[in-house]
Amino acid sequence: MAYLEVRDVSKNFSSGRTNREVLKSVNLSVEEGQFVSIVGFTGSGKTTLINILAGLHTPDSGTVEIGGQQVRGIPAQAAVVFQNYSLLPWFSALENVRLAVEAAFPSWNREKQLSQAKRYLETVGLGSAANRRPSQLSGGMRQRVAIARAFASEPALLFLDEPFSALDALTRANLQQELARLCSEVERPVTTVMITNNLDEALLLSDQIIPMTRGPRATLSTPINVSIPRPRTESQLLHDDNAAHIRSTVVEFLADFVHTTPLKPAPLVKGAHLSRTALTDKTILEEQA
Amino acid sequence: MRSRVVSIVLPVCGALLVVGLWAAVSTQVHDLPSPLRTWTESKVYILQPLEKRGEMDQGILLLAYYSLWRVAKGFLLGILIGTPLGFMLGLSRTFHRMFDPIVQVLRPISPLAWLPLGLIVFQKSEPAALFTIALCSMWPTVINTMSGVRSIPQEYRNVARVLRLSRFQTFSKVLVPATLPYMFTGYRLSLGIAWLVIVASEMLTGTPGIGGFLWQEYNSLIYAHIVLCILTIGIVGFLLDRMMGFVELKLQRSN
Repeated sequence: MAYLEVRDVSKNFSSGRTNREVLKSVNLSVEEGQFVSIVGFTGSGKTTLINILAGLHTPDSGTVEIGGQQVRGIPAQAAVVFQNYSLLPWFSALENVRLAVEAAFPSWNREKQLSQAKRYLETVGLGSAANRRPSQLSGGMRQRVAIARAFASEPALLFLDEPFSALDALTRANLQQELARLCSEVERPVTTVMITNNLDEALLLSDQIIPMTRGPRATLSTPINVSIPRPRTESQLLHDDNAAHIRSTVVEFLADFVHTTPLKPAPLVKGAHLSRTALTDKTILEEQA
Repeated sequence: MRSRVVSIVLPVCGALLVVGLWAAVSTQVHDLPSPLRTWTESKVYILQPLEKRGEMDQGILLLAYYSLWRVAKGFLLGILIGTPLGFMLGLSRTFHRMFDPIVQVLRPISPLAWLPLGLIVFQKSEPAALFTIALCSMWPTVINTMSGVRSIPQEYRNVARVLRLSRFQTFSKVLVPATLPYMFTGYRLSLGIAWLVIVASEMLTGTPGIGGFLWQEYNSLIYAHIVLCILTIGIVGFLLDRMMGFVELKLQRSN
């Protein structure tokens, strides 16, 4: 059985008389040490799914199992990187990371917690900015702190909720590479689920890409294996046949779920012109035009 | 440079205008002391501010010190009760449903109404004054702390949850720092009210202090000293507010 097992999870949100079915029988299994990306439109319920995995929401039906154990509440093995960094503004970068270490390893003394926090800040290249407050850091640096915070608690599971979507393209590319490096460097493999609307990001980092249908009643489609050898680079992915094939499969699949248009998407020429495929309605429609 | 001059000259002009108006009115109203008479009759209190000549007959700083000390005690008591109360109202729906109506009813009650009750309960004037100050000044702290707790962004709560912080860690590392700026706004308003209440409570209990002195001088028909007290109360209150405002600003910067 897979390390992370999601069975038949559904989630509705109701306010007053309106009831929105956000997720409908979502199934997902992730093997230990795998990096899986869930790719879908903005607003399709991806964040709801990651919140359920992280234990922040409880599903209306269905179960989440980690290592064969059904999860209730916040899973102990998991760390989360949020889209909006979610650093505590009253703490320095170092204190933000140390808080996670303190919570994960309460038996360690303060020195050990601090040195662990420092080590991970240095790993993301922020050793010299350790004492700065989040407000004194750029968006990219903040997300580095958030990544350091997640890794510093030495999680077995990592949930990433559109971790790079608030960043500019250059910073994003840098951080994607660093995340790939971090994932390959840590002593024991981290099982990772990343939510993204950026297909190139998913191609760069994942072992498996799973497209998510558009909500309401969003669900996951069949996983696509990404068997491109690592380390991968952006430019290499642009010319890789395998990547182009995956790209067109995913885009075609997702385009089928655009309710707003009856048009079938035009067949895609091998990758190149789609190098930055942010999966929003707009891009899809532009490609059809 | 020019704005520097303006920022000093204009307030001085304003003050002079008000003093001029006061002088003009005092020529018409018989018992109202003129600015000059106020100064000549009060200067001994101002020029020897720490002189103690009798129970009530003391330098103005000494009198202000008694009042400030009493305010400090009452205010401290008020925020010691008000802050946890605000936290509970903000954190627990049940607690809020239970006690919010009571809070809203108790909030607008004047110190003049509480003081007699305090005198009955405590039998002595000093604890009755502290009781009144605490009870009247704590509401802004309660209300601001409550709304501070309620407006903590969900993302901070989520961080506390996914890091699996203990209850105590969540409280001390997330809830309190996130609420601190609101709490201090509450403290500032509370201190302002405490200073308002002190005069009333000293007047009614006749204890030495700015308010007690004011009331005694009214009874002794030395009206110039009433004006002296009023000005002192205003200046001290202004300084207190500035001081708390400064602390508040520091806190907001550090967040």
